[in-house]
Amino acid sequence: MIELEIDGKKVEAEPGNMIIQVADAMGVYIPRFCYHKKLSIAANCRMCLVEVEKIGKPVPACATPISQGMRVFTKSEKALAAQRAVMEFLLINHPLDCPICDQGGECELQDLALGYGDDLSRYTEGKRAVDDENLGSLIATDMTRCIHCTRCVRFGTEVAGMRELGTVWRGEHMEIKTFVGKSLTSEVSGNIIDLCPVGALTSKPYRYTARAWELQQRYTIAPHDCLGSHLNVHVRRNEVMRVVPRESEAINETWLSDRDRFSYTGLKSEDRLNQPMIKQSGHWQSVSWEVALEYMLEALKKVIAVQGPEQAAGIISPSATLEESYLFQRLLRGLGCPNIDHRLRQIDFADQDSMPLYPGLKVKIADLEQQRAVLIIGANVRQEQPLLALRLRKANLKGAQIFCINPIDYQVNFNLNQKLICHPTLLPEMLAGIIKAILVKQAIEAPTTIAEQLKSIQVTEQQQAIAEALSVNQPSTILLGAIAQQHPQAATLRSLASLLAELTGASVNLLTEGANTAGAWLAGAVPHRGAVGLTQDKLGQTIAELFAEPRKAYVLFNVEPAQDCANPKQVTKALQQADLVVALTPYNTPYLQQHADVLLPIAHHAETSGTYVNAEGEWQSFAAVVSAPEQVKPGWKVLRVLGNLADLADFNYTASTEIRDELQGMLANHSLKVAKQVQPRINLAYTKHPLTRITEWPMYRVDGLVRRALPLQQAASHDSVGIRINSKMIEQLQLAAGGLATVEQAGESVTLPVILDERIPQGCALIAGGFAETEVLAESFGAITIHV
Amino acid sequence: MAETELYKLTETMCGEIDQWIAKFPPERKQSALLASLHIVQKETGWLSTAQLNAVADYLGLAYVTVYEVATFYSMYDLQPVGRHKVHLCNNISCMLNGSEKLSEHVKAKLGVEFGATTTDGKFTLKHAECLAACAGAPAAQIDGVHYENLTPEKIDKILDNLD
Amino acid sequence: MMPLTSEWLGVNEKIMNKLKHFFKSFLLWELLVGLKLTGRYLFSKKITVQFPEEETPRSARFRGLLALRRYPNGEERCIACKLCEAVCPALAITIEAEPRADGSRRTTKYEVDFFKCIYCGFCEESCPVDSIVATSQMHYHFEKRGENIFTKEKLLAVGDKYEKEIAANRTKDSAYR
Repeated sequence: MIELEIDGKKVEAEPGNMIIQVADAMGVYIPRFCYHKKLSIAANCRMCLVEVEKIGKPVPACATPISQGMRVFTKSEKALAAQRAVMEFLLINHPLDCPICDQGGECELQDLALGYGDDLSRYTEGKRAVDDENLGSLIATDMTRCIHCTRCVRFGTEVAGMRELGTVWRGEHMEIKTFVGKSLTSEVSGNIIDLCPVGALTSKPYRYTARAWELQQRYTIAPHDCLGSHLNVHVRRNEVMRVVPRESEAINETWLSDRDRFSYTGLKSEDRLNQPMIKQSGHWQSVSWEVALEYMLEALKKVIAVQGPEQAAGIISPSATLEESYLFQRLLRGLGCPNIDHRLRQIDFADQDSMPLYPGLKVKIADLEQQRAVLIIGANVRQEQPLLALRLRKANLKGAQIFCINPIDYQVNFNLNQKLICHPTLLPEMLAGIIKAILVKQAIEAPTTIAEQLKSIQVTEQQQAIAEALSVNQPSTILLGAIAQQHPQAATLRSLASLLAELTGASVNLLTEGANTAGAWLAGAVPHRGAVGLTQDKLGQTIAELFAEPRKAYVLFNVEPAQDCANPKQVTKALQQADLVVALTPYNTPYLQQHADVLLPIAHHAETSGTYVNAEGEWQSFAAVVSAPEQVKPGWKVLRVLGNLADLADFNYTASTEIRDELQGMLANHSLKVAKQVQPRINLAYTKHPLTRITEWPMYRVDGLVRRALPLQQAASHDSVGIRINSKMIEQLQLAAGGLATVEQAGESVTLPVILDERIPQGCALIAGGFAETEVLAESFGAITIHV
Repeated sequence: MAETELYKLTETMCGEIDQWIAKFPPERKQSALLASLHIVQKETGWLSTAQLNAVADYLGLAYVTVYEVATFYSMYDLQPVGRHKVHLCNNISCMLNGSEKLSEHVKAKLGVEFGATTTDGKFTLKHAECLAACAGAPAAQIDGVHYENLTPEKIDKILDNLD
Repeated sequence: MMPLTSEWLGVNEKIMNKLKHFFKSFLLWELLVGLKLTGRYLFSKKITVQFPEEETPRSARFRGLLALRRYPNGEERCIACKLCEAVCPALAITIEAEPRADGSRRTTKYEVDFFKCIYCGFCEESCPVDSIVATSQMHYHFEKRGENIFTKEKLLAVGDKYEKEIAANRTKDSAYR
């Protein structure tokens, strides 16, 4: 600790800190544009010039390290004169278009110009004008306003790990641009809107629609991934105008992924369901809530009474709130039906009894930065949890070794020390190879469950390197992503990962789908466990079984069955055969019109209060930021009334917080004892198809809201639906890249464009889920045939 | 510039670039960028976006990093140029010794402004910052060769002798 | 000489007043004084105007009905900066905006509620492009509820109709701005 003095106040700080950091900590404001605490120091705006005793010239506070006994004057005549002079220079080329600038009212330059600018310009020469580039559907540019702070460039280079914007030309002609006029492709590009201190980079969807002073800021949690990033939603007249990050060092730092930032544009979709509706003799009628709820409950009770409780099933979205999941399972279990599941895209549930209380991260999100070795299995981290990828990048920059085992050679924004790209059916084998490498190295006998299976496995050098790194570099982490968990051998992969973790001392972390998978488990929205893991008398069946053997009644909660589930064909068939399909949904889609019998309008997450439990187990409650339109009601209220109508006991909640508190109370009084797996379910055997489908849900197709967010869809045009396949396979199957081809799966066929994608391994084609075009197809990793 | 346009570095280029890469630590391939761009420019006289992309790919750099460097330095031409590049110094020593008159003369002779190429594609006229030849001002650099103590007559002779 | 005490004066004044009053009433003096005033006004220049046929002159700064102006080429001036909406102390102005097809910043809704408007003229003062202005029009009325809300089209129509007068008033006042 060294002592210095800023504006006459004595302060102690760690050596190595810059003046501006110490000043910020003690609450002394020094004006700045280019300095940002999360970015490297550039010292190119010069706005933070301050006077330091015994130094002749003013020095930039952001780039001057503190020293013992330093005396800094931030508001002395000399400092102010320097700051005013810098401001005059900055304003020389800055246009006077604040009235039409979106940043007007929240502009750092505008604010500081008020304090440091002159009311008259001495500059009479011509001002600089810069052409704009089209950076895509998310970011609007007015580059004439740019003051060259380079925050956006540094963000791309340092944080996002994708250098897309640069400073081209030099001196007076310097411009920030991509140079070739391409759209930004980074999944966190929206952050440069927040970073830009002027109106050069602004939000395109928000463009010109509101002013900062008209907006009310409300707090909520991001609904698209398992991190639960903190959001500030800006609302005007009950309408969400934009979303910005709320700083949270533990989760999203100061950043936000584009998905969380721009998905609000899907809130005003045209297919919003505003009225409860029931289908009678093939015709849809808008009815009152009372009629709809009673009709639905009668019909559901009838199915359960006549056909038996196993003939009913409840499917809930993993992004439903904790309260909704809890009431949903209470309602159905109260009616006698134990068939409840939220694991829409998973296929293999063999190990569900040995799952912990909830799947998720064992390591805190922020602690991921401290990991020394990370093994990623079946995950496209950048798309699934964009901000988690930024943490991994940070760890990587600090020297962590990162490895991946993926069926697709995903682009990542960090360096991969080793990558094993294999046919998806070989994922377990790849992982087993690493285990074998360790066993051999440490001369440990293999557990009996896999000893036999390990024999035939050849250990490669890569696997040996990974095994070595995981055990030597501590702490180490294994991350299982969406592909691993949606894999037909997911249980094997999880068991192998646990075994590997045991051998290496790494922690096993599951990157779960949706915003609230952990919450859904805690709330008991799984067939084999009740809330907080309570054992159930009647065990239900898993989602795979519920659709494989069609039931008579389905209750769907915020699910778009054909686009959200693992086997759309099977789901559609099951819904067709059912006597009763009740959909609690925000949307009135043609699919639901065709297959459902009752449609109940429920609120989006922005319109309801609730709680998300993120992957690290953080309970994050939020209130509604806007009120629901017309007849739409928050899901938990609908479920509560259904509970009352069904005469279920203890269903008289008056606020969503009561439900949360009840669960918290239950959790405090109960601890789940998971029997340690006696026999890890490891089965490396697989059936290899001549041509296997790989299914992933692209970043902007994961749930109903993002699918309706038009700017995101435009931004992801490169992620369009198609048959993605490598050049060898194209040749082999005699297809033409860019042409059309027909995919056949389980008797259904669909014609899609062929897209050349060298990331795809031999014998596979990537055909994404979450698209209307692919909703006739069947299982995620099934056999397909492709022909022209 | 169409994004599909591709440029492949020739083997000789790659060989020369490799020599430069070898001079720096392996993780500092970016250090070879300036030399690489010169090597490629030597071939075609100017650098197209496709060529810049090819260099970026070869050195494993982001495209925009190469654009930044190529646009920063005036010695790289990003537009097609004539067969001969005429750089006239316009800094103080040359200016005091009549570079302005010389510039006017060359401009009139070639019929182009600074930064432009003659219609027959023979000359590209450009300004140069100090060529470190103040003792022999006014100076010019024509196709990489220094010429000092220039007069309109002298430069006429030099330019006329170029084919 | 006797001192002029108040008492002495008071007595004499009373007598004098009585005498004055007697003669004034006897000679209709007060009537004549009144008629003199009447006479003077009968022949002097009249200031009464025959409202509404005639009106008194109004200052160039008179703040009457609000209007939105256009540029001479017909382009609306308003750029949707929303400063008028922000400054309006009566919250009479409501604006919604979005990029127009040509990319420029324009309002899609510009409404003034004339029941709320207090004619303070702050909107006019805040406008960076002289778009919203107070005209000198004061003769207007609303017959039905809802007519008090002037839409963008109406405000622009008002501006179009009185543009000459608005421009003249702005020129007249420009020396003081």
